[in-house]
Amino acid sequence: MIYQFLSTLDKKLGFEKADAHCDIPCGIYDPITAQIAAVTVVRMLDLATDLEAKGGEKGKDYFNSMSRYVAVKEEHAEKAKADVRVIWGDYIKAPHLEKFPELHGLVHQIMQLGSKVRQTTDRQAALDLVEAINKFAEIFWATKNIKTRRAKSPYNPPLELVYPVIE
Amino acid sequence: MIQILKVTGESLSPFFLEGDFVVVSKIPFVFQRIQPGDTVVFRQPGYGTLIKRVERISPDGEQLFVLGVHPDSTDSRQFGALSRRQLIGKVIWHIRK
Repeated sequence: MIYQFLSTLDKKLGFEKADAHCDIPCGIYDPITAQIAAVTVVRMLDLATDLEAKGGEKGKDYFNSMSRYVAVKEEHAEKAKADVRVIWGDYIKAPHLEKFPELHGLVHQIMQLGSKVRQTTDRQAALDLVEAINKFAEIFWATKNIKTRRAKSPYNPPLELVYPVIE
Repeated sequence: MIQILKVTGESLSPFFLEGDFVVVSKIPFVFQRIQPGDTVVFRQPGYGTLIKRVERISPDGEQLFVLGVHPDSTDSRQFGALSRRQLIGKVIWHIRK
């Protein structure tokens, strides 16, 4: 209530800004890049499965497509891990960990799942990776007091993702 | 005297977040009570009005070494200690977003 009152006053009067300045544009953290990377892993597995199901001769076209799917799966699994590590390492602070003590374990789980989906073609592991990063996203937005909602991604595969509710 | 300011930037996250409001006291006798751990607002040439945590104070009480909590924070590690005359005030009330 006090915040709303000050916010209204700020719009009319324009309070002076006190800048908690950083030397680079820090503060630009968003787990959506990791979420999209994890969904991409599932998509590459689905494309690989479809290609294999077609049957027929496994010539150079087959290997060309399959190797591309595998390469993109590798790349995005690693990207999902890297993007989560940046938020965990740079943004997350001790008070966050006090409030969300499960965070270290969750990040470790994401690292393990990220490696598993690189090593295997286990679709369930890829789905588990998406869901683990969804949980990470829920915690991330909660640290900013921003509500979240779950909705199906508007592309294939239509998996449930966590999105911030920004008014 | 009292002044209300709005926080921008993330170097004090998660203690102070972008969009939070702070009330700072400019009353001199309150200044005397600034201690390490307090949050202060000050003017820094080239940077404008900044908000940082006081890390330590010189023995004569005139120089304050301030830090953010983010690894990339711009603070006394770059621009050195600040003098008391740069201070706008000490944060006495924090209104979170």
